[in-house]
Amino acid sequence: MGGDPDRAWVPFRPGVLDEEGRVVGSRCPSCEAHFFPARQVCSRCLAEDLEQVALSTRGTLYTYTVLHQAAPGFEVPFVLGYVDLPEGVRILGQVAGLEPHAVRIGMELDLHVEPFGEDEERRTIMGYRFRPEGARGG
Amino acid sequence: MGDVFVLGVGMTRFGKHPDRDATDLGVEAARAAIRDAGIDPRRIQGAYCGHVFQGMTTGQRVLAQIGLAGIPLANVENACSSGATAIREGYLSIRAKEHDVVLALGTEHLTTRFRGALTPDEDDVEAGVGLTMPGIYAMRARRYLEEYGVTREQLALIPVKNKRNAAQNPVAHFDEPVTLEQVLGSRPIADPLNLLDCSPVSDGAAAAILVSASVARSLGDGRAIRLAASALRTGTVESEPSSMTFEPLTRATALDAYERSGVGPEDVRFAEVHDCFSIAEALRVEGLGLFGQGEYLKAVEQGEADISGRLPVNPSGGLLGKGHPLGATGVAQVVEIVRQLRGEAGDRQIPDAKIGLAHCRGGKAAGVEGAACTVQMLVR
Repeated sequence: MGGDPDRAWVPFRPGVLDEEGRVVGSRCPSCEAHFFPARQVCSRCLAEDLEQVALSTRGTLYTYTVLHQAAPGFEVPFVLGYVDLPEGVRILGQVAGLEPHAVRIGMELDLHVEPFGEDEERRTIMGYRFRPEGARGG
Repeated sequence: MGDVFVLGVGMTRFGKHPDRDATDLGVEAARAAIRDAGIDPRRIQGAYCGHVFQGMTTGQRVLAQIGLAGIPLANVENACSSGATAIREGYLSIRAKEHDVVLALGTEHLTTRFRGALTPDEDDVEAGVGLTMPGIYAMRARRYLEEYGVTREQLALIPVKNKRNAAQNPVAHFDEPVTLEQVLGSRPIADPLNLLDCSPVSDGAAAAILVSASVARSLGDGRAIRLAASALRTGTVESEPSSMTFEPLTRATALDAYERSGVGPEDVRFAEVHDCFSIAEALRVEGLGLFGQGEYLKAVEQGEADISGRLPVNPSGGLLGKGHPLGATGVAQVVEIVRQLRGEAGDRQIPDAKIGLAHCRGGKAAGVEGAACTVQMLVR
């Protein structure tokens, strides 16, 4: 990941998106466990030949918070939540497109790959956010 | 044999120390611990220094000020368990019969390193989407309140209790109690947690002199407290989503400590636990098996965790009240427990205190259930 100097975009952290811009994790071919972020060795069965797989794009909100204080570069308030994907992966992301009071534990959310900003070389930094089912990315 | 004892303890006041640095604070704590132990400092054979953000050679800078430069020293970084890990390294070196007398130190000048909410390491994927430490615990709190049908008001009783205890502790960051209304009315940080649900950004240092059984016998005059276990674990990688209202990491570390010490949760008289946020105290004591799952807030409401209660939790004021200078925190828990077990805790004294447990847990990395967890068992 991030190896192509001519690509017009970069992932917000190495290894979280594939070349096609999909959110990826690891799948263990021996025991079927999935991991995010990607791992080199399966922590359930210690298999070493993990495969990169694109993750599901719809999941269930496990819990969330409204942050009123955050690191520099994050405009508050914003909603942050853990979403459980069907393959058994829990992934943290911002929940966009909903007023904080409308967010509920257990709601279905879609995973959208979206720009997070620009890096020093003016390339688009790509990341992901969760949005209500059927919403269009912002 | 290979028993390990705490012979002396010392700490600075925790709080904001704008005119001091981590070295200066570390020196004060180390010298206080040496004086308290009543030991010739030339007998100290090794040292371990816990810190998180103080840069290279933090421990060496302290040793250079107190005439101990030359002895082996390792600086220890293990997130919020750094100081507790320094204690454990000292414990292991004595159990291995490499040393008889060890200085375990923790120091942090956090106010010059951090402002506002702590975050996971910047490289972490979760930090990259905006996660803060209050954010993690806020999400756990929301889930806990929903699953166990307890209220925000009950949760706020934890900071009320701990700041009340801190007001009786001369080395605590906060010296005023707070009311339930003040907790509920304080500035929102990460919903449902407010400012008074969060431990403060503090500076401070704490130190302990650990000794072998033979040194304790020759010098201890009955004041030495046995460190009956010092357990450490790292959080496991989750291969499926797990409950965020229970702490397998705390449970596993506690079981190690219970097994090693031969002391079970039913024997523990009081505990100092890692209450970095109000909800954290509930998660810790339930993970430790000291209270039933989902039952802690009700127990707090009924006074069971008060200094006068059945099982006092954080009599020092905890991180919420005493303060949280990261690297110093785990050592300061041991300072409080030793003072309680010696009967030297003044207004905070727990009657008939014979067994105390200290728990630290720190750090966060994506997909891992917490980074470093320690449980120490101290027995009079």
